[in-house]
Amino acid sequence: MQGRFIFDVLGVKCLNRSQKIPSSVFVAMSSYRLKALNTMAGSQVNTASNSVVLDDESRNKGKKSFSVQSTPDIEKKYVHHVYDAIAPHFSSTRFAKWPKVATFLNSLPQGAVVLDAGCGNGKYLGFNPDCFYIGCDISPSLISICAGRGHEVLVADAVNLPYRTGFVDAAISIAVLHHLSTENRRRKAIEELIRVVHKGGLVLITVWAVEQEDTSLVNKWTPLEHKFGEEWVGPGSPRIRCSPTLTLQSIPEREEASLGNQIKGDDLQKMPAIPHVTSREGGDMVASTNGIIGNQQEYFVPWHLPYHRAEVSGTSACAVADGFARKDDKKGAVVYNRYYHVFVEGELERLSSGIENARIRDQFYDKSNWCIILEKT
Amino acid sequence: MRLLTHNMLSCNIKGVTNGFPLRIEVEKSMEKEVDFNIDFLKSIFSKVEWTALVEAARSLGYNDLPEEVVDSSTMLESSDFLKKFHHALLELHLEEGALICPETGRRFPVNKGIPNMLLHEDEV
Repeated sequence: MQGRFIFDVLGVKCLNRSQKIPSSVFVAMSSYRLKALNTMAGSQVNTASNSVVLDDESRNKGKKSFSVQSTPDIEKKYVHHVYDAIAPHFSSTRFAKWPKVATFLNSLPQGAVVLDAGCGNGKYLGFNPDCFYIGCDISPSLISICAGRGHEVLVADAVNLPYRTGFVDAAISIAVLHHLSTENRRRKAIEELIRVVHKGGLVLITVWAVEQEDTSLVNKWTPLEHKFGEEWVGPGSPRIRCSPTLTLQSIPEREEASLGNQIKGDDLQKMPAIPHVTSREGGDMVASTNGIIGNQQEYFVPWHLPYHRAEVSGTSACAVADGFARKDDKKGAVVYNRYYHVFVEGELERLSSGIENARIRDQFYDKSNWCIILEKT
Repeated sequence: MRLLTHNMLSCNIKGVTNGFPLRIEVEKSMEKEVDFNIDFLKSIFSKVEWTALVEAARSLGYNDLPEEVVDSSTMLESSDFLKKFHHALLELHLEEGALICPETGRRFPVNKGIPNMLLHEDEV
């Protein structure tokens, strides 16, 4: 294709936005999507299994030495960039409050200062009028939405919170840590939550579980491979290659009701039983009725951004051109992938146990999420 | 950004030991009324770094806070004091400007009332 190339913030070439790309090219692009996507991510495509391989380099491309607080490429591309692109649409689907989070927030003393780290569209900010809420998120677009609703918010990184040690009374991290791509970063984020609360302060963390209640949803995710690296500890290493059971082309519109993140009124009454997980020896999970094969924890989870929501000239067009998103004309949506490291049973506990001044007060499974409440000691 | 938020923000650049309080550079400030809540004010008072609040309020043009609070139990019964405390802590807003690290001079921009505290790669 002819035309000038411009570099966007991620240093990725993007076709001049005024160019029209013929639809035949889109078809061709979507079938080679995996290859293009992974070439840019610095990883390899295994065409036999159609799975995606990520090597350690793609997590921190071009950096000679990196701290746990440097953002790996996979998060820049498949978390930060995506949420910025889908923010208004994403926000419109995030309104229902989880009872368990509500219970936690209601248990806090009057006058408490509460931090929501990774607040998204600010769903929980201002939950109880007696408390002072501060939200932060890595996405300026989502934070803008929060600010528009009158909340006190800032743009910040969950692995490096800009707050004084021991100031806040409580902190929540709702569906955030599963977007961090290394164990060290996930642990660091928990350490930061503990750091910012005062002694005796409480932290609530929820993350998506490997053990999903709706197994059909898992089938829509793309499993990712990760070459064995030193930071890959705990259950599930070395990684087993996993072949997806579904192609990426036709994905029913289900993820907005995704996985416990949204509860409509009557859904509260329908609570499926926790799926059975077998054979916990050695911390490994084996295939069971929950649709998870082997030790798979890394996934791309799709987000369908309807055409009428995607900006005509901007982010989505560029994303498609660069191979980070694809058009689904049948659904009339741009399909983005979000990176997830879903958690196995006990993983939150294991991460937290390694933190000196954190005591586990409670842990539970709720609507396909693993949850933990920590106290700073 | 309210001054209660400012009172809890600190520069988190690697190696910085003296990142609080951030200096305020004002391009645009505002006042937004907030419901008066005596219980909240009394419970938050002990956490607030008073000198930082006084300086921050001053940079936003509000000079009515006492320099120091010697006898807090008495002061917290004074409605005059509570009103000033309330005003400075919750009703003054920095809309446009920057927060500046006292140790490194690094500017964290504030736009539409939102501070951006993200660090660059070389700062972590």
